[in-house]
Amino acid sequence: MKITPGRDKEPFGEKITAFFDKLHKSKRYKRAKSAVRTLLEDPTSRFKKIFDLTIIFLILSSVFILIYEVKHPIPKWMDIYDIYVVSFVFLIEYLLRLWIYNDLSDEFISEYDRSIKLGMEFRVWKTLAALSVKKLSYVIKPAAIVDMLAILPAYRPLRVLRIFVLFRFLKLLRYTRSINQFVEVLANKRFELITLLILLMFVVTTGGIAIYVLEETHNPNINTIFDALYWSLVTISTVGYGDISPVSDFGRVISMVIILFGIAMLSFATSVIVSAFSEKLNELKEERVVEEVNKNSEFYIICGYGQMTKMFFRLAKKEMKNYIILDKDSDRVAEAIQGGYKAIKDDASRHDTLERFRTANSKVTILCMSHDDVENIYITLNAKSISRDIKVIARAGSVDMIKKYERAGADHILLPNEVASRMMMSAILRPRVYEAIHGILTGDEKALLDEIDISRHSKLIGRKVKDIDFRGFRLLFIGINKGDSGEFIFNPDREVELRMGDTLLVMGHRINIEYFREMSFTENV
Amino acid sequence: MMENIRSVVLFGYGKFGNTIADTLSREQVHILLVESNDTLYGRAVEAGYAKAWKIDVTDDRHLEDLPINSDETIICAMDDDHMNVFLVLSLKYLYPKNRILAISDSIYATQKLKMAGADMVIDMYEVSAYRIHNILNKPIATRFLEGFMDHSHEYSFREMVIPENSFLDGMMLDDVDFGKYGVIFVGMIDIEKGNDFTFVTAGERHKLDSGDMIVLIGNDDDLDRLEEAISFHREVVLQ
Repeated sequence: MKITPGRDKEPFGEKITAFFDKLHKSKRYKRAKSAVRTLLEDPTSRFKKIFDLTIIFLILSSVFILIYEVKHPIPKWMDIYDIYVVSFVFLIEYLLRLWIYNDLSDEFISEYDRSIKLGMEFRVWKTLAALSVKKLSYVIKPAAIVDMLAILPAYRPLRVLRIFVLFRFLKLLRYTRSINQFVEVLANKRFELITLLILLMFVVTTGGIAIYVLEETHNPNINTIFDALYWSLVTISTVGYGDISPVSDFGRVISMVIILFGIAMLSFATSVIVSAFSEKLNELKEERVVEEVNKNSEFYIICGYGQMTKMFFRLAKKEMKNYIILDKDSDRVAEAIQGGYKAIKDDASRHDTLERFRTANSKVTILCMSHDDVENIYITLNAKSISRDIKVIARAGSVDMIKKYERAGADHILLPNEVASRMMMSAILRPRVYEAIHGILTGDEKALLDEIDISRHSKLIGRKVKDIDFRGFRLLFIGINKGDSGEFIFNPDREVELRMGDTLLVMGHRINIEYFREMSFTENV
Repeated sequence: MMENIRSVVLFGYGKFGNTIADTLSREQVHILLVESNDTLYGRAVEAGYAKAWKIDVTDDRHLEDLPINSDETIICAMDDDHMNVFLVLSLKYLYPKNRILAISDSIYATQKLKMAGADMVIDMYEVSAYRIHNILNKPIATRFLEGFMDHSHEYSFREMVIPENSFLDGMMLDDVDFGKYGVIFVGMIDIEKGNDFTFVTAGERHKLDSGDMIVLIGNDDDLDRLEEAISFHREVVLQ
């Protein structure tokens, strides 16, 4: 079959196609668009923060002028600032948001390619119209409407538009997370709230019409249907100003019915909102915990709050700051929270769970502490599928499982049974060694085995082993881990030179090690 | 000192017991295995512990009948925490002179086992949690120390008793150059000063006597070389 590319006969149409094609291919255009996206939407960007603060300042100053203006004549510059500067910035912002909402040129070209591939005639105007509708769907979004209304006060001839400055206040919604969450929570109960609203409108209208028909003739306060509806709403809301009140018995009966309805509806509305919040409260709290953890460049995700995790925290509570505990079981999560730990109820074996954490530029270590091997292996794979750089330390239930953990990519595998029995073995066969080793790592008593990192500012760089008087520091020099090769040299040659990134392994009293570490940054070492 | 603990009594061949039994038998330790559960007993016999005993461990009369010498170490590693505590309590009464080790898998059991009279309790979760903590905070030190306990170890900790007539007898510690043997001297137990272990870094001046125990780290070959060297009256560096 011969494919004849569809061509639009109109020369203007061809020009449009060519224009979009150019945009589609332009790298500069793409760069500009992505820069604007970052500015407006990327929460991690520093520029967005500055931009947000600027907008918030414009909003607040504009609202201030609105209030100030009520009683005072405002200077000319304030007026100009309010009309032109603020509105202009908002207009630009609005247009930019509209621009980045979708990629018109890309979609246009892909539509064009599609029709060429299919051998159909490409209709420029039809495509353009369809895409414009898509673009315009942004305009009717609530946030976009608020933005639009916030620009309107710039049109001075209509005084009433001044009140639209208040919409600028609503714009703040975009910048305050707690209000956003509030709206989100309410949006979840959309169905209930809309039902309630329809019911309310129905009752208000019925009551309003009834009172209008019955009392319009002899109640001096009710002259129009608007008066009647106004009365009806004031009554049903249990506000009851009393500026309009029924004068006939029939009117009073209607009032009574409306009041009963009002009470019922108010309590219903309250309960809907309260339940929406109590359902979401935990989720919101957990969201905060996750965000808190994500701020760190290095953090731990601990999966499972069982015996082992508890024990681990007893040892490491002081040092562990940037961590989060995940557990599927809500009782255990509650227990962890009660114990003062940062824990949330979530399943670490799910992709979305780990996706919530910022793993791209941070050093993340996952500890799989559950006693269930299947789950631990799944979590390991899950973590490694998100990023190879995530370090996984897993606890295995039996020796047969170790191979599986290795295949899943776990960096360290630990067998509690094995660790304990090895300890047991040393305790039986070499009791003194056991004591020494046990003491050496925990460092409760005489000697501690510790690592001295040679960082950029260390004065040890370039020195030879023989130049350092370990004895004088009352330290026992055991070996050196070379930073470049990762190789450990036990009892190295005295001529070995120390480089940045190396780690010295020394043994000694805690105080002496601390002292040496401090001194390693001075010439005295 | 090592010779007389080459034989142990192990209670339990369950989830902890069997790992311990396997590790110990690899080290050529003679094990007297005791189990009360039929299935586990069967498994132990199958695994080659032909001389395993199957008794009701809650009955003192049965426990008394076991051929346990007063110098043997007893390990309590029953799967059931309650049983383990009960067993420690009974054994401590029946064999007061024996060293009793117990394994535990919860904080609460650890405390109870100690109260029941166990000389040493290894809490499975505690040691594992320590390990994780160490892997995170001191990866190199941990890897190094793990090597001591591993079978495929490159370096080990070794205790040596200075024999009589050794060239070390009577020397000041500072005058001995262990470096030329490629080993690191870690500390010693001076019999004159009681049985406390003194780390080298304590900075005390010591005179070495025969009967003192020195503790060293090093390559197995180097340690062997040193062990041989110290048996001589005069220092000879063996190649």
